[in-house]
Amino acid sequence: MGSEADITESPGIQCIGLSKAFPGGVEVIRPLDLTLEGGRTTALVGPSGCGKSTLLRLIAGLEAPSAGEVLIGGAPPAEILRKAGLSMAFQDHSLLPWRTVRGNIELALKLARKPADPRAVRDLVRLVGLDGFAETRPGALSGGMRQRAAIARAMVTEPRLLLLDEPFGAVDEMTRRQLADDLPRIWEQRRTTTLLVTHSIPEAVLLADRILVLSPRPARIVADLAVPLPHPHAPGVAATPEFNAIVQAVSAALARGMAAAKPLAAQ
Amino acid sequence: MIPTAKRPVSRPDYTGLLGVAAVLLVWELAGRALAGAYILATPLDVLAHILQNAGLIGRALRETLGNAAIGFAAGNAVAILLASAALAWPRSEPVVSGLALLVFCLPLVATGPILRVLYGPGNGPQITLAALAVYYTTFVPLLVGLRAAPAVWFDLVRSYGRGRIAELRFVRARASLPYLFAGLQIAAPAAFLGAMVGEFTGAERGMGVLTIRAMRALDVSAIWALASVAAAVSILAYAAVGLLARLTLTESPPVILAPPPQPRLTGRHVPFGNAALVLLFALLIWWGAMEAFHLSAFFAKRPVDVWQALVTAPDAAETRVRLAVALGETSVFLLPGVAAGLALGAGLAIALMLAPALGAGATFVAVALRSVPIVATAPLVVLAFGRGAVGTITLVAVMVFFPTFVACRHGLRQAPGQVLDVFDSYAAGPVLRLWHVQIPAMLPAFFAAARMSVPASVLAVTVVEWLATGRGIGSLMALSASLSDYDLLWSSVVIVALLSVLGYAGIGVMERRILAVYAAEQVTR
Ligand SMILES: Nc1ncnc2c1ncn2[C@@H]1O[C@H](COP(=O)(O)OP(=O)(O)OP(=O)(O)O)[C@@H](O)[C@H]1O
Ligand SMILES: [Mg+2]
Repeated sequence: MGSEADITESPGIQCIGLSKAFPGGVEVIRPLDLTLEGGRTTALVGPSGCGKSTLLRLIAGLEAPSAGEVLIGGAPPAEILRKAGLSMAFQDHSLLPWRTVRGNIELALKLARKPADPRAVRDLVRLVGLDGFAETRPGALSGGMRQRAAIARAMVTEPRLLLLDEPFGAVDEMTRRQLADDLPRIWEQRRTTTLLVTHSIPEAVLLADRILVLSPRPARIVADLAVPLPHPHAPGVAATPEFNAIVQAVSAALARGMAAAKPLAAQ
Repeated sequence: MIPTAKRPVSRPDYTGLLGVAAVLLVWELAGRALAGAYILATPLDVLAHILQNAGLIGRALRETLGNAAIGFAAGNAVAILLASAALAWPRSEPVVSGLALLVFCLPLVATGPILRVLYGPGNGPQITLAALAVYYTTFVPLLVGLRAAPAVWFDLVRSYGRGRIAELRFVRARASLPYLFAGLQIAAPAAFLGAMVGEFTGAERGMGVLTIRAMRALDVSAIWALASVAAAVSILAYAAVGLLARLTLTESPPVILAPPPQPRLTGRHVPFGNAALVLLFALLIWWGAMEAFHLSAFFAKRPVDVWQALVTAPDAAETRVRLAVALGETSVFLLPGVAAGLALGAGLAIALMLAPALGAGATFVAVALRSVPIVATAPLVVLAFGRGAVGTITLVAVMVFFPTFVACRHGLRQAPGQVLDVFDSYAAGPVLRLWHVQIPAMLPAFFAAARMSVPASVLAVTVVEWLATGRGIGSLMALSASLSDYDLLWSSVVIVALLSVLGYAGIGVMERRILAVYAAEQVTR
């Protein structure tokens, strides 16, 4: 397969005829062909329940496809998993309640069989704005703080492929803006291939180089938009006409997808 | 907002102390009022007796505690092994659970004498009975706990390319700790009780021996003193494990008594197939162990012997009639006792939801009393109510009441706070909340308690029949043990165990039906 180099660099992702139906006949993803370039950031936008999390899990090899395949750097997901080159920040609370923020972040290093790195952990805690909460357990954190801890955990292993499932859903607006400035910088620097799911269109535009708009279930790609804004973003970019044009385009595509879908009751 | 629907706050709760003081006061007053009736010793009498016989009781206590501790360690080790086996090889789980239940349903009253002849003199039976009394109540919550972690934690482990060993090490082992502690907490007093029952069967030393002696001598203050010491030790053991759990666990504990996993019925014939497998394995183990240890066919009856005694022997019909008559006598005590205990336990738990001010104190007393080896107080109940039906029914009811009450109360508090908030936002009254939210949330805990009440009530009723009333299956087992009628003894053990398992399974079937209607989300996991 000759995929060695690709996985340790910035792996591209290929979905070939990928589809998923759950037992009981719920068809979540229609056969899907998709190629994501390595080292770039892609945002997935789509209505609730359309299959975004399922697509992420298929790519991470946590779910087996019903048909078709996923290739990461030319190899099946198992390959990158085996090398601990992937991290996923999950949509729901995935922090272990008996470990502190620091303990949860360190857990990722343990699971990835990487040496403990107190510096990196401290830096990430600061980056996600949890200074002073390193020794706090998840039960005593707010929802947004927990999400930020999960982002830090996903990033500590310096993954080649980073999958983020609605990482900022409960994060407040100011922190979110800060993260939207800081995180892409790191991803660019490390040439991380990033795929993130979000419900916020402006956030998708701020974070990603490319936005895929999905239809209601079963998920199809209704629009594939490039984000031609230069990185790093200039301050105030969110007020520019270019930015707004992309936001408009995404939101129009979402509306088209919704309208084209069968009425909810028929699904 | 009803405060009890929230997580318990960890402030010192003086209502509990008040409850204990109230119990002591009522006891002292009742004792004085009934002085001369020779049934009730007052707390002061008890204290005086303990002080006078401190050396004797101390030695007996040390003996019993030693046996209980070894049995506790052994039984829980077995529980951990069984749960690990069921986890490592999920297909073995129905059989492992079934066998574990079957062994747990063996009536201690009969296994005690059998173990006595098998082991000869010494501490073997006490330790074995203590182990038998604890392994199941640890096995069940542990099995739940090993799986109770949300799927996303396992996804996390797998997303770094790690497998089942890492799952066990980083997630399951730690996530199951609260469940393990819940089991250990119940196990601590149960081990003490098991060791005492073991001593009833002809040990030389120990609390059980002193209890038997005091009963023979009708020494009221001795009986009360021994029961009080046993109760105090049990409460302390229960509290000690609880304290250890609080010191170890950093997150709030999820459950006190977790309902066992619902059997997933994948096909029509699967449950029957599993039951057949369990029976087959049970027979194999039974027969195999006896052959392997070359146990004498005189007292170590094989499955074939029991079959002969019950079916093919010339006096088989007579044996069956004797068993049926004894079982009939027992059921007259057992069924009303269980029904009363379940109804009172659930009823009081519900009533206290409507009067939350009383709740904290009542719970403290109930949790404390749950750990009392109720069976060790059998002599007291007989003293108080005589050898007739009332005493036995009361004892069975008490045995069932406390665990049911504690489980139901816990279940009622499991009601999801957000749903309750919705009800509050519509100003729905407490009765509506109870009916639509809290009682459905309580049902699984209630049924878990109901299932566990089967072996518990069998233990209670057989001990009373054996020690006191001289009727029913417990007495028949004691009689056949003393007459060395091992055919009859083994037959009763088999029948009682099978009936207990059937009762347990029957409640399980009822549970699935009722939960499917009233708490559907609890069945489909
Ligand atoms: N294990 C499963 N078994 C059956 N159906 C499932 C399973 N997981 C997801 N689904 C169904 O698949 C569909 C898509 O779920 P998914 O979680 O991927 O949606 P989503 O796009 O991430 O939604 P949201 O934005 O709300 O997170 C849903 O209809 C869901 O009910
Ligand atoms: Mg999702």
